[in-house]
Order: sequence, then C-alpha cells, then structure tokens
Amino acid sequence: MPDWKRIVRGRLAELKLEGSSESEVFDELAQHLEDRYEELLLSGVPEAEAERIAVQPLNASPSLVEALSRARRRPAPEPPARANHLSNLLYDLRIALRGMRQKPTFSLLVAGMLALGIAGNAAIFSTFNSLFLKPLPFRDSSRLIDLNDTAPRWNLHYVGISEPDLFVWRERQSTFDGMAFFDDPDFNLSRMGPAQHIRGAKVTRDMLDVLGLKLVLGRNFLPEEDRPNGEKVALLGNSLWQRLFSGDRNVLGRILVLDNEPYKIVGVLPRNAVFPDRAEVWVPLAPKDDGQNHGWYLHGIGRLKRGVTVEQASADLLRAHRAHIAPGLNNEITSPILTPIRVRYLGDFRTTSQVLLVAVAVVLLIACVNIAALMLVRASSRAHEVAIRAAIGASRARIIRQLLTETGLLAVVGGIAGVLLGRLGLQAIVSLLPDTMPRWIDFQLDIRFAAFCILVTAASALLFGLFPALQASRTEVSSALHAAARRATFSRSQRGTLNVLVVSEIGLALALLIASGLLVRAFHKVTHVDPGFRPENVLTFDLDLPEQKYAKSEQVVAFYRQLLDGLRAAPGVAAAGAASAPPLGGHMGQFFIAEGDRPLGPNENTPVVLQVIVTPGYFDAIGMTLLAGRQFDNHDGESKEHLVAMVNETFARQHWPNASPIGKRIRYQRDPDAQWWEVVGVLHNEKHYGLDGEDRPAVYIPQPQLPWPLSLSVVLRSYSNPQALTAPARQILESIDPDLPMYGVHTMTEQLDRSLWVRRAYSWLFGVFSLVALVLAGAGIYGVISYAVSQRTNEIGIRMALGASPREVLANVLRGGMVLVAAGTAAGLAVALAAATLLEKLLFGVSPRDPLVYAAVVLAVGAVGLLANAIPARRAAALDPMKALRTE
Amino acid sequence: MPIRPLDRELKKGSAELLVLSLVEDRARHGYEISKLIESRSEGALKFNVASLYPLVYRLEARGWIQGRWVEKAGQRRRRYYRLTAEGRKVLAAQRQGWRVFAEAVRRIAGVDYA
Repeated sequence: MPDWKRIVRGRLAELKLEGSSESEVFDELAQHLEDRYEELLLSGVPEAEAERIAVQPLNASPSLVEALSRARRRPAPEPPARANHLSNLLYDLRIALRGMRQKPTFSLLVAGMLALGIAGNAAIFSTFNSLFLKPLPFRDSSRLIDLNDTAPRWNLHYVGISEPDLFVWRERQSTFDGMAFFDDPDFNLSRMGPAQHIRGAKVTRDMLDVLGLKLVLGRNFLPEEDRPNGEKVALLGNSLWQRLFSGDRNVLGRILVLDNEPYKIVGVLPRNAVFPDRAEVWVPLAPKDDGQNHGWYLHGIGRLKRGVTVEQASADLLRAHRAHIAPGLNNEITSPILTPIRVRYLGDFRTTSQVLLVAVAVVLLIACVNIAALMLVRASSRAHEVAIRAAIGASRARIIRQLLTETGLLAVVGGIAGVLLGRLGLQAIVSLLPDTMPRWIDFQLDIRFAAFCILVTAASALLFGLFPALQASRTEVSSALHAAARRATFSRSQRGTLNVLVVSEIGLALALLIASGLLVRAFHKVTHVDPGFRPENVLTFDLDLPEQKYAKSEQVVAFYRQLLDGLRAAPGVAAAGAASAPPLGGHMGQFFIAEGDRPLGPNENTPVVLQVIVTPGYFDAIGMTLLAGRQFDNHDGESKEHLVAMVNETFARQHWPNASPIGKRIRYQRDPDAQWWEVVGVLHNEKHYGLDGEDRPAVYIPQPQLPWPLSLSVVLRSYSNPQALTAPARQILESIDPDLPMYGVHTMTEQLDRSLWVRRAYSWLFGVFSLVALVLAGAGIYGVISYAVSQRTNEIGIRMALGASPREVLANVLRGGMVLVAAGTAAGLAVALAAATLLEKLLFGVSPRDPLVYAAVVLAVGAVGLLANAIPARRAAALDPMKALRTE
Repeated sequence: MPIRPLDRELKKGSAELLVLSLVEDRARHGYEISKLIESRSEGALKFNVASLYPLVYRLEARGWIQGRWVEKAGQRRRRYYRLTAEGRKVLAAQRQGWRVFAEAVRRIAGVDYA
C-alpha cells in the first residue's frame, strides 16, 4: 500500500501550521486517501489506477495549501455584528486576557495587591468575628450573663461565689429568668477500660433551662437529686456518649464510676452543650444550704429577663447581696459582678483583636490607594488607544464595558487568590491560638466579609480604571487622536489628591512599621526575661487523687513520697518533686500576715498571696534558686507544733524590707486561731503568671503540713530529653495505683512557649502586616512617580533638548518623589508618636519612643522610597529627547 | 433529477449547510461526510479531499463544529466532527435562509427543488 502520509506531506510541503496542527492535517488527509483507495480496490480498480484516482484531487487543486492554511487560521476575535451580551462579554474577556498577558507585571501587581489586602482582612476579621461577633450556640445567647463575686479590698477581681450567695441571689433576685451555678472539677473515670481523666461539671439543675438546651435522651436532675446526699446521677456529654458507648441509646440507667463513686446515667446532653467549657459529664452540684461559707468556689450563669440591662440586674443582685450580711459572710466586702458571658471568657483577646483590626484596615486602605494609583498610571498609557477606539466608532458604553471587564477580571483573580490566601492565614492564626480557648468558638473564614473586601478593592480599581473611558467619551472624535494624550491627563488638583494619597500611604505604613517594631522588640525582651527557674529538661504532669480512696492525709503524703522515690530511682531522672502550682500552673490565693506587722485599717488592701504546697525535692526539680535559709526536708511538717514555710523575695520585701526573713513567723490573716509558721528559707521569684506577668508574693508550705489539695503537679528534671521520661513515669504510677490517670503531660519549655502565644501571635501578625504595608507603599510610590514621569515626558524632552543632562533630570524626578516620601515620613512619625502610647500596655517596658525602632523604620522607609523612585527616575533620565518630543 | 448546472457560488453557499446537517445528529469523520454527500445526492454533489477539508476546517475554526480524534480497536485513528451549540444555531438560521431562497426560486422559475 502506498505511504499516504508521505504523499500528503510531499504535496503540502509548503503548508506551515503551528505545532501539532500540521501533522494532524497530514494524518487526517492521509486517512481520507487511504479510505478512498481501499474503496476503489474493493470495486475492482487495479492498484496503480486506484492510487492515481485517489491522489488526483490533491494534484488538481493548485490553491489547496492556501485554502487549508486560511481555513485553519482562527478568525480574528471580532464581535459578531448583532451578537448577544454573552458573546460580547466573552469577546471583552478575551481582549482583557490578552491585555493581562501583554502587561504581566502590571496585572500581577494589581491582582497581588488585591489578594494581600483581601487575605489579611478576611483572615483577621474572621478571627475577630468568630471570637466576638458570632452568636454563641445557645438560644438568645446575648442574655446569658456570667455571675461572680468581686472584692477590690482583697485585690481580687473575681473571687468566686459562695454557697450562701447562691441561695440569696437565686431566691431574692427579680431580674433573671433563671440562674445556674456550677463547679468544674476533673474526674478520674475508671472501670471503663484504662483509667482516664475527664473534665466534668457539677451543676445546679437549672443549667439546662438557663442555657436553653434539650436533652437527647432521658431526663434532667430531679430537685431531690440536686440536694446534699441526693442520689448520685449523671448527664452524659455527647462526645463521651459516643466515645464510651458508641452512641448506644440504651445507655440510661448504666453506671459511670467517677472518682471511685458510681453515678447512674439519667440523660444524654445535646452536642451543643459546650458550656461549662469542655465538661464531658454533668453531675448535680447539690449545694449545702446551711448558711455556712465553704469557700468562694462556684461559678454562675444567669439568663436575663427580656429587656433587662446588665446594669439593672447588677443593682438588683447588689441589693439582694447587701441585705444579707451575716457574721463571717463578708458580704460587706464582696459584691456581685455581672459580665456578659463572651466578655468574661474572652476579655483578654479584645484589645489585641481590635489593634489587629486597625492594622488590617490600614493595609486595606493602602492597597486601595495603590490600586487607584496604578490604575491611573495604566489609564494614562491607555488614553491614546481609547481615543482611537472612540474615533473608529466605538460607543462610550462599549469602551466603558471593555475597561470594566478588564478591571473586573483583575478583581476576580485578585479576589480568588485573596480568599485562598485568607483561608491559609486563618488556619495559621487558629494554630497559634492556645488550648484554653473555649470550645464553643468555631473558626471559619467569613465569606461575606471576604466578598465585602473584594467589593471595596474592586470598586477602587473600577473607579480609577474607568477614568480614561470617561475622558475619551467626552472627547470630540474629530480632535481625539490629535490631542488624546494630553486630554487624558489630570488637573493640578487631581494630581494633588493623588500626592496626598501617597503621602498618607507612606505615613500609615511607617506608623504600622513602628508599632510592629516596638511589639517585636517587646516580644524579644519578654523571651529574654529570667523566668526564675530552669525550664529546660523539665517534664510535668498532673495527678488528681480521689478523695474516697485517699481520705487520710497520711495516705496522700505516703502516696506522693512513694511515687517520687520511685521516680527518682528511674534512669534519666535528675530530680523529682511535686507542687500544687508549678510555674504557669495556676493561682491559689491566700491572705497572710507576719508577726509584728502593723495592724491593717478597715479599708486597707491585703495583697493576695500565692500559696504553693510542695514536696521535698520540688525546688531542685523545677530549678528555683534559694537565696537564704534552707529547703524543706522529709521531716518538715511532721511536728504539729513547729510549722515552717518558705517565702519568695516579693513577700520578704513586703513584710521585712530591712531585715532577714529567716526565723520570722507568718500566719493566715483571716483566722485569728491559725498557728504561726516559721520562715526557714527565701526563694528567688519565679515568673508564675508568665514571663510577661507580674511578680506577686508567694508562700511555700511543705505537703505534710497541709495535704490539700489532693491534686499536685509532678515535676521531673531529666538529664536529657524530658519527654523520654513519660513512659517510665507512667509505669511507675501504674505500679502504685493503676486507677490513677496521668494527665496534662507537658515539658516546661512547651508551657512557657504556649504562655506567650497571644504576644507571639500579635507581634508576628503585626510584623507581617507592616511588611505588606511597606511593600504596598513602595509599589504606590513607584506607581505615582511613574505616572508623573509619563505625564511629563514632553516637558522632560524639552528640558533635555534645551541642554539638561540626564543627571539633572534624574535628580529632578528623584527630588519630586522624595518630597512625597519625606512628607509621608513626617506624617507617619506624628501618628506613631501619638499612637504608640496606646500600645504601652503591650510593650513590656519598651519605651513607646524607642529610638532604635524609630531610626530603623525611618531608614527602611527611606530606602524603599528611594528604590521606588529610582526606577521611574532612571527611565526619565534615559529618555531620548527626540522621541519624547514626538509623543506630542 | 440531476442538478449539475448548479452555480459554483450556490454550491459553495450550500456546502456549509450540507456538512452541518450531516453532523447534526451524530459525529462523523471526513470520509464518511464526503461519501454521505455523494450518496444522498445520488452523485449530484461530490466533495473530494481537496474541496472537503478546507471547508471542514473553516467550520471548525468558526466554532460551529468540533473535531475529536477517536481511536477504535483494530482501526487507525480518525477525526470525528460534531455540531456545537453555536453550530446548531447557525444551522437553524441557514436552513431557514435556504428555505426562503428555495421558495423564491420556485416561485420565480417554477422549479421545484424541495
């Protein structure tokens, strides 16, 4: 059989088509010839004759090559004369895409700026929205109010609620639909596979009603179950129900062993029962109504009656509270404090979130200004093209539509990239959030807000992108081509506006940079604070001894002594000890006086003292420094007559500013019968409330002397990787008490790291934003100066023709640009000086006028400004005067 | 009735309509299209390799038909063409135009094409 492809290729040698297109044509034609040839053979034509007949049309058509290449050529993208809107749009899009390909830098700049502005705003706003704006997952959650006691005279903002308060408030209030009280203990859950530690809540039976929740299964606690010595029943949390019982609906009546006590399951909580936070099981609080104060240990939540304000409710509760002053109840010192629930649990985040929102708004503003400037630059270079289009008959509407399509396309590209980036940013922020965030907060990118950002930025792009179209359509066609370029320039005042925009952009970027510089410096300072202990190579974990099993204090002391001895014997352990509150481990307050203190006046503040129960070996394990005296040993606390304590520097300074504390005596202030404790040692302060926290007085007490609380944190110091101690420690614990779960296993460095998350998060975010702002401001300067140069091409040409050297032109253009930079810097410094004092709280002692930060930022902004100016200035200096004049 | 004296221009104008009609219901390859034109016109209309492909490529470039290489077991690959949505509109318009034209010719010349 003839080689048809070769024949076709030979015949069509002159056909020059792009890429694979040509060989496809050859293939297809060869196949056609083969089909024809075979058909001829089948009808009995001899081979040679069949080949001749098949090829004949190729030879008989001299213009085939031309016909084929013309047919294969894509038609020019002309809109059909009477096409519909859709094909018009497609046509516009095709032109716009071609434009983007022709000016990739410009398109990337605009889309990139949109993306940056949108991403930052969407991510930060979504975080803010999830934290503060989105309603909580409870019915009418804005009416839910946190209840607590406050005692300014004790230097305590939140004291907790006592049982007498509970009954007084609940019975005598008239402004709430309901009030519920709770304690949030941890439970050891046993007899259900390996012992585990779960968070639980002891709640009054009003909790379901106050939160507005409906049980999935079963019933609420009965009134008699919520009284002392009532039956032990439990409401199972939804996640625990799934985990332990795989969602079995026959779970009612089964027994849950919590802290070695059996509880009968009477109901299953719904999925949205996410309050009290992380509680996996509810049991009745059963408060004692004996008029005695057993401590301020309760939390409360109330549902306001419709239309009642927090202030009205506060006044109502205060009245009830004050009317009930019994001996020993301290109701003249404490008073109810009411806080909307979200503020109570998220108050800390509010300042930082707001500061970040401002930063983001500034970046968005800068992005808009920049896009405007860039679109103007672009517009001026397009003026001629637009004028030609108008001249050859394009209608005003048609031109506007074309330009709208182009900017719209950029906005869509930038918007999509922005939303994707924003989602990544949100993930990054959420990963920085601490574990202690309430679980009822759900983070999601707020699409409505992202859409808002896209609209804002796209609107600014459209507004300025349309400028040449509006200009051109006003132009008389007859004179359009003639004067197009000049007609499309702006008036002096319009250019002035542009300059003001750029100056404010530089100023904002500079102020933002200074703020972030200060925050970064503060962060650096915080991380270099002496923690007062040696955090490296330390592992801590928590234990919670059940009261039923460890009822006697000797049992508790013996347990810890046995455990610690076992741990010390394990390979790799350098030191072991336990404490009720290791650094960052929470606060347990007490009031102390020292022997010989002058008596306190009735309204004087007694500073709250951190009380820490410790075992021997604790100070070595955590690495605290003894300043004077001695540490506890195994005999301290054995004698009931001679009680001892250690204090920290702050406590020593407060009570004995000029004398050695060793041998001095202290006791609880509020109990006149309390025994005196002798101070045997003074410790260097440890940063108990975080590296950026304040120093408070502290008293350390040997465990046998005060074997309560039962839950201590065990601290292990290792020779190398502390995490390697987890498994051996668990084994040792299991050999002593297999029912006891070990929880909260962390290294100390990890905890320190986490304690700084808020500071790290906002310092980091601020840093990123200010860099973005700087880049945007640089691009803005570049855009505006480029624009100015393009407007002045003619003038520069004349100057050069009259003898100005390129160096003079360069200097002239640079001067113009640097004036803007200087003005922006001055404005930014003024803003920064005023605004930085607002940050003072967050600066950890770094001066809001730190000269190093200011100098570095001014230099950086100056350098970026110079660079952004230099590019268009050099372009101006390189102008050929003849060409420049010809642009006329 | 044979229609050999058909004017060249007339043939060219009708050619598009013929190809579009043939790929209206199913995709066909080039040789198939040429054979169908020949057989359905009972030999009155003929397209050879040189006259068919410029036409097919032109229709494809306009987006009225779309070609796709198809490989069937035991056969060489062939390019099949099918009507696009755009082509469907054009075909409808051309049919209508042709109907009007044929009707006019019939009225004037008393020749019955349809």
